[in-house]
Amino acid sequence: MGWRQLATVLRGADTWAGREPGAGLGRVLPRRRGGPGPFWGVRSRLGGWDLFWGPGSARRPGPAWGHAERLSGCRHPARAGAAWGSGPARERGGTMAEDKAVTMVTCTAPVNMAVIKYWGKRDSELILPINSSLSVTLHQDQLKTTTTAAISRDFKEDRLWLNGEEADAGHPRLQACLREVRRLARKRRGGGTDAAPLSLAYKVHVASENNFPTAAGLASSAAGYACLVFALARLYGVEGELSEVARQGSGSACRSMFGGFVQWHRGERPDGKDSVAQQVAPETHWPELRVLVLVVSAEKKPVGSTAGMQTSVDTSPLLKHRAEALVPERIACMVRHIRERDFEGFGQLTMRDSNQFHATCLDTFPPIFYLNDVSRRIIALAHRYNAHHGCTKVAYTFDAGPNAVIFALADTVAEFVEVVRRSFPPAPNGDQFVRGLPVGSASLPEELLSAVVLEPVPGAIRYILHTKPGPGPQLLDDPSQHLLGADGLPRGSA
Amino acid sequence: GTMAEDKAVTMVTCTAPVNMAVIKYWGKRDSELILPINSSLSVTLHQDQLKTTTTAAISRDFKEDRLWLNGEEADAGHPRLQACLREGESPPRASVYPGRGQSPPRRRAGVHVASENNFPTAAGLASSAAGYACLVFALARLYGVEGELSEVARQGSGSACRSMFGGFVQWHRGERPDGKDSVAQQVAPETHWPELRVLVLVVSAEKKPVGSTAGMQTSVDTSPLLKHRAEALVPERIACMVRHIRERDFEGFGQLTMRDSNQFHATCLDTFPPIFYLNDVSRRIIALAHLYNAHHGCTKVGCGRPGGRAPPQHRCPPPSPAPLQVAYTFDAGPNAVIFALADTVAEFVEVVRRSFPPAPNGDQFVRGLPVGSASLPEELLSAVVLEPVPGAIRYILHTKVWGPGPGGAGGGDSAWPLVPAVPIPGSVCRAP
Repeated sequence: MGWRQLATVLRGADTWAGREPGAGLGRVLPRRRGGPGPFWGVRSRLGGWDLFWGPGSARRPGPAWGHAERLSGCRHPARAGAAWGSGPARERGGTMAEDKAVTMVTCTAPVNMAVIKYWGKRDSELILPINSSLSVTLHQDQLKTTTTAAISRDFKEDRLWLNGEEADAGHPRLQACLREVRRLARKRRGGGTDAAPLSLAYKVHVASENNFPTAAGLASSAAGYACLVFALARLYGVEGELSEVARQGSGSACRSMFGGFVQWHRGERPDGKDSVAQQVAPETHWPELRVLVLVVSAEKKPVGSTAGMQTSVDTSPLLKHRAEALVPERIACMVRHIRERDFEGFGQLTMRDSNQFHATCLDTFPPIFYLNDVSRRIIALAHRYNAHHGCTKVAYTFDAGPNAVIFALADTVAEFVEVVRRSFPPAPNGDQFVRGLPVGSASLPEELLSAVVLEPVPGAIRYILHTKPGPGPQLLDDPSQHLLGADGLPRGSA
Repeated sequence: GTMAEDKAVTMVTCTAPVNMAVIKYWGKRDSELILPINSSLSVTLHQDQLKTTTTAAISRDFKEDRLWLNGEEADAGHPRLQACLREGESPPRASVYPGRGQSPPRRRAGVHVASENNFPTAAGLASSAAGYACLVFALARLYGVEGELSEVARQGSGSACRSMFGGFVQWHRGERPDGKDSVAQQVAPETHWPELRVLVLVVSAEKKPVGSTAGMQTSVDTSPLLKHRAEALVPERIACMVRHIRERDFEGFGQLTMRDSNQFHATCLDTFPPIFYLNDVSRRIIALAHLYNAHHGCTKVGCGRPGGRAPPQHRCPPPSPAPLQVAYTFDAGPNAVIFALADTVAEFVEVVRRSFPPAPNGDQFVRGLPVGSASLPEELLSAVVLEPVPGAIRYILHTKVWGPGPGGAGGGDSAWPLVPAVPIPGSVCRAP
């Protein structure tokens, strides 16, 4: 469950949870009322809905604050395209200013990419996994979610906007996060606070958006829920262990609560208190490590991960064995490879774990296919490239979708990007093919070309995003970056 | 007169069937003797549609062993072939050097073998199974060897041992290091399940997949999931499959067949580097099968249409176990083998035709056993036939389970051995 359920409920579509056999093969979506197209977004590579991005401007992370900004009737500078005509709070009467005050916080949170995969829950309520997982947090300059959370006595109900479109705030996962943060806030109240506490009964408004197009299938509920939890915690003045809360919104969200290299411990307790994320190494630990996201051209939507992983748990004996007997050692190995900056070990294990995850999907009944022909070609290309160089230079990993994430060291990037460009020539009048961090130019030796670049498949890759490991969630202090106005409603065009 | 005997050519011609594994063999514990890491179970297919013919001839005149596959000469020094030649002698493992007293005098003579298939090779259907089984059987006839031959065939190509029998066949893993107990055995004869049918969906040719010998070795070396499958999962699956077959339980048979095919391909994906035998068309066929099975859960049961197996007062059940209609399985290649009961064939063939419309001027799309016509109800069409992919399937071969019949191996020279398989295009019959 995740943002997708919000969208589903809002549209009034049939529940997606009760899939028929055979429906889990990549083509079924809940029926939409009204127009065609992904009204609320498309399935992310992790199966949650991508947030559907409106014309949000790029946000820059600011210095962390530590407390929420109280907007007491300030008139914000007019923003281009602002459609909100309702006046600022102060116009509604001065003596009520304090009651009408809107307390608001804006945060950003990163996407993370698992190198030891999470697939399967032992508890669906609390979102407790059958095995530990380990991920790399990606840099927010290239991929991030921005969330503004606002509380006011004025708000009559919880409300939620995703990329400017209202969604259902009654979503159980969203409510679970709210509930958990409020519960933690309540616990803290006993110790006294420095300011008039926000009433835990007040309703909350949340607006969220991503800094990259949705159709890329990159956004995930991970970034979304991590951002939400981080923002709510700031609003309510809750500190300390938050990954457990984020986890209850969306499992992998707990890994987005930290930067660098992050492990999500499976935990043993039934109440899930020990199923938390922990940083293995900070984002500064491995400066040469780079990430290339190969965004594959959109096609049939894959099976959603929540339903998919449940079917896998129910039907795949290979998954059971993986979780019980194989992952624990892999986690230990991966931690070691990262700490030792051993790219050979890191890369090999990353590829093997990606393949094993997809193998368990194939062992599911009905089988789940996330890799398509382009994915397979990318895999084959990576192996040829590595074989040509005689060592592991690039490592692929795929989540529940066709986009490839490639790890490489900085001095490999230029050459491999060129290899990808030759193997998957971009459409002539297409958008910029290489985005994100700059990529140097490279000329390919003839023997490399003939050994590695075989049958080019034009247009199969829409673009490449070059990024690297990055920090955890950030608090923004620039009020112009709030996604909600002083009235608690979304800014910008409706 | 006196030289006539020396110039004699002793010749035998046999045919042998192809078999399709429903519990897969993938991985050896001994590459020399071809001993598998797990047992496997297969269905022998009808020779009217798929068979290999082999002629084996011995003569003192033949200076060396020679081999022709579909009219093209191939290397008779191939170790697997030589292993069968060697093992086929009696006593086994007799010296290859002439002059040793224990060797049958014939061994000094060369063996000429010619083999061909009754279906185009480019279909990727021919397998070393049929080939080696045929060869072994023919050589056994030549040498006058009887008895347990599957062990010999196994050493040519693992799955060949399963082609030594008709009907439903199990290849026991065995425990002995010398492989003497790694033999095939019939689970049920072909007469056991007369309604069972097989549709081979021949997918259009593309890049050759990874060869299975190298592929399975890499899997054994690198896949922990394969190890677990072989040690912990297959034994029970074999037992279940035997039971399903003996009880003619198509539901159980079909489900387990699909799951085992998928698990085999899962272990290929868990190999490093990963091996992909399923392509996009394979996946579409899989999806189609699941949709078709799911659809019939609600509509075929209780709709009262002719041919339906529904009890008269049946109500459409909520989505959950639907009676299985078709089951797919894939080997190390893109061709799909579909199992179905006879009364499903016509409708499913039509569903396949709509989903994968044949090229307009192509060859005959449905071959083999006759297939009745079927009209598809609109709700079936809209639920199951989604985005047609023209030309993705070259043709469908309708066949069924085969066995030699009560008279043993067909008698005389039409006894059925298998020919050492090497996929060879074309087929020129070399008359004796």
